[in-house]
Order: sequence, then structure tokens, then C-alpha cells
Amino acid sequence: MDHRPELWSETGTHARLVALALFVAVPPAVALGVVAARRPRLAAVAVGTAGVIFTVPSLALFALLVAPLGLGTAPAVAALALYSVLPVLRNTVVGLAEVPAEAVEAARGMGMTETQALWRVRLPLALPVVVGGVRVAAVTAVGVGTVAALVAAGGLGDSIFAGLRAGDDAEVLAATAVIAALALSVDGCLAFIERRLRRGR
Amino acid sequence: MIRYEEATKRYGPGPSALDGLTLEVPAGETCVLVGPSGAGKTTALKLVNRLVEPTSGRVLIDGRDVASTDPVTLRRGIGYVIQQVGLFPHLDVAANVATVPRLLGWDRRRIDARVDELLDLVGLEPGTYRHRRPDELSGGQRQRVGVARALAADPPVLLMDEPFGAVDPVTRSRLQDEFLRLQRSLRRTVVLVTHDIDEALRLGDRLAVLATGGRLEQYGTPADVLARPATPFVADFVGAGRTLRRLDLLAAADALTPAGPPAPGPTVPSDATLADAMAALLTSDAPAVGVVENGSVLGAVTLDSIRAVLRRDDTAAGPEARSHGEVEVEGNSVVQDDVEGVVGAEGEGA
Repeated sequence: MDHRPELWSETGTHARLVALALFVAVPPAVALGVVAARRPRLAAVAVGTAGVIFTVPSLALFALLVAPLGLGTAPAVAALALYSVLPVLRNTVVGLAEVPAEAVEAARGMGMTETQALWRVRLPLALPVVVGGVRVAAVTAVGVGTVAALVAAGGLGDSIFAGLRAGDDAEVLAATAVIAALALSVDGCLAFIERRLRRGR
Repeated sequence: MIRYEEATKRYGPGPSALDGLTLEVPAGETCVLVGPSGAGKTTALKLVNRLVEPTSGRVLIDGRDVASTDPVTLRRGIGYVIQQVGLFPHLDVAANVATVPRLLGWDRRRIDARVDELLDLVGLEPGTYRHRRPDELSGGQRQRVGVARALAADPPVLLMDEPFGAVDPVTRSRLQDEFLRLQRSLRRTVVLVTHDIDEALRLGDRLAVLATGGRLEQYGTPADVLARPATPFVADFVGAGRTLRRLDLLAAADALTPAGPPAPGPTVPSDATLADAMAALLTSDAPAVGVVENGSVLGAVTLDSIRAVLRRDDTAAGPEARSHGEVEVEGNSVVQDDVEGVVGAEGEGA
């Protein structure tokens, strides 16, 4: 319990790293998904590449990014952003593919341009699935964000690694519990948004 | 007015989807494209709003080739009702109906007033339904919203692809009645696709019967198609019940004998069909049914007079055929067993 002040500030840092990573990753991932949705070959290549990145062990990815980006927030955010691309991209492609064909045909048949059909019909209908992807990305980033401590980006990993070094199981457990709680609450918030969007369909 | 000129569509090598379709739909009439699946009906429909571009030939609206109009502008001027309705599930009824007016940039007050007017027109009380979502509506209500949406910007041309396909038979029949009522007052130029010959006979001022491969077999009024199928394909497609169906399309008043009915015999009103008169004959012992208008008897219908009308129509254009056309339907003298090359009116597309 004597670690409480550090845990609070580390939680803040942790959450900020995750938020920054999503902020950086989600818009281009959605945009790429929109472009790829109508191009099966591009979709296969993009999802495949993002999938390969997703399978790179987190320790290795963070370490690889230190060379070009140095230590600190930059490599941590970059690594978490790279992990976030796959679920958001894949869900955008899937979400757009699942939009009822007759709604898209009605949109075109009534004289919407491709851009209007995208903004007024396709994206709103795909949005719950896209948010589902953001949810997976956010939960993943909260967990993987622990490794950020190793590139001097801070976060709850600081407490975990400090505890491991000192043999302080209580500190490790406390930090782990906070990470789990953070992951659950992020998941819960996004699940709520997703449900609201689905009901609004 | 819509005119197809030698319109052909191929989606790849192999047989065409639509083969040299030439026909003209006069303004204010309903033309039903009917045929089995694979007959190019939907392809023909989509040529009008350029969702499909012809491989060769062209389509004109009021004398203007649709290919010369930007597709987005063209489509905003054409009402479109599709299979499965295609309502936008994330928008309420009002927003769905308002789709084209919004694209056209109408102001909000005008849009709101138009939405209410249209919901009234299709029999949905605006106060109750304006803010419902599509998944809160029955199949029939969705179809009505689909029709309201297509009519929103008051288009002179309406394209309907199996508009009543997704509902139960009772609802379908009611929607067909409402369509006929609407069309009587609105007089749009309608092209409607169905595979259901009964629906085609009921809704169409003219029928274009298409065969697999997109070949036009016959183009004519329902009475014409029933009385004189141009090819064995049409005869087969129209089916064995065609004589009984013809009774639905003929007026009892056209089969009168001069003699009046026996004094207490059955009667039908002057707007009854021959089917009504036939039913009255079959359910009574009387040899004749009186046709009554404003309380006075015009004449009587007997089995013999019905036979005479059917035979007369078999050999010459009947009164219905004539009364339907600004454009005379040709091809009445087509010999039924001449398979190759002969189709109905405007049949050079075979």
C-alpha cells in the first residue's frame, strides 16, 4: 500500500500511452480499411502485414523501435500503435463487407455519390464492428503497455519490473491488478459504446 | 416515356443477360418486365438508371439517351424501389424517406412537410411512424416506406424491382391494390420487374415477357398476352389457367346479350369483371346474369355470350387491347406455333 502514489501516476502514464497509440493508429487503420474494403487483394496484403506485426513478440518490437526512435514515449507509442492496426483494420474491412448489399444498392440507386454512400450509409452501418476492433486494440495495448517500462516510457510496468527485481510480490500483484482493472474498464466503456451503436442501427 | 433501343447486355463470354431489347413505355403507364430468373429483367430495369451500362444499344427517357446524363443526377430524378426494400437500418422512417430531398438540398421545413405527405399517401400515419426504425416495422410497412422514399422527390419515372416480393400473399395483394390506387392518381411512368405472372397481369398496363437469355418474347397488354400468346414460351409461361385469368381482365358489360335477365335473377354492377359475372352464373340456377347500372338493367351475360367474347378476342384485338394504347400493339396476327424469330410487338429483338 506504500506504493499507492506511484501506482496512481503510473496508471496515468499507462493510460496516456494507450490513448496516444490509439489516437495515432485508429484513423489510418480505418482509412486503410475503407480503401481495402473494395479491393480484396489489397485487403489480403494489408491484413496479412498487420497480422505479421501483431505476432512479433512485444519485447522484440519495443527493442527494434529503440534504434530509430531512441528511448522514451516515442518507441512505446509506436509499438502499441503498430499492434493496434490489425484489429481495427480487420474489423473495418469486415464491418464494411457486412453492410447489407441492398442498403448500398439503394444508396447508389437513389443518387448518392460514392463518398456520400460511404459517410451516410456504409460507415455508420459498419461503425459498431469498427468500435469492436478498437476495443480489442485498446485491451491489447493496456496489457502490452507493461513492456513500455523497458524503453523508459514509464507506466505500470515500472512497478512490476521494480517489484520483480526487489522480490516484492505484493508490488507486482498490486500493479498487475491495476493493469487488469484498467483493461476491464476500457473494455467495459467501449463495449457500452458498441452496444449503443448496435441498438441505434 | 422510356424507350429501349436494341439494348443488349453481356456480363462476360457466353449467353447475353439481355438480348437486343427494343420497346417503348408510354408516359404514365406501367410496364411490367416478367419472366423466369435469368431472363434479364433486373438488368433491363437497371439500364434505365445506369446501375448497369448496356454492352450495346441504348435507353432513352423522353427522347434523351440516359448515357448523356451524369448517373448521380439521373438517379436523383428516378424513383427506385428494390428487392428486400433496402431501407437504411440506422435511420428512422422520416430520414429514409427524406434521402433524395436531402441529396437535392431541400430546406428542412419542405422536407418535413413532404415526408408527412408521403407517409399519408402510403397509408402510414406520420405521427406514429415518422420516428420508427425499419426493424420496428412489419414487412408490409417497410415496403410502403420504400415506395414513399422512391416518390419523395416527385420523380416522373419509377423503377420497381420485385417491390412486393418480400411479404406474405395477403399483404402482397393489399400492396398491389394500393399501388394501383396510387398509380391511378399519380400516373408515373413505371417499369416493374416480377417473376409472378399474376402480379404482372394485375399491375401492368403492358407486359414485356422475357425468356432466359434476355429475349423479348412478347410485348402487349395483359388481355393481349392472355388471348394471343405470341410464342409457345409465352403460352407456357402464362400457364394453363389463362382462360380463367382473362375473365378477370374483361368487363361483364362487354359480354352483354340484348335479352334482359329473368326477373328475379342475379345481377352484377356495370363495373364488374366477367369473372364476377361468371361466379354469379355458377352460384345460381339462372341461365343469365343481369348487368345493372344506376338501377337499370343494361343487358345480361350468359355462358354463350362469355364464350363469344373469348373467341372474338382470340382472333382480333379486343376492346381492352385498344383502350390501353396510345401506341398500337403490333403482332396480333402472330401464329402461335411459329417458334423461330417471331415475338410480339416490336419483336425485332429476337
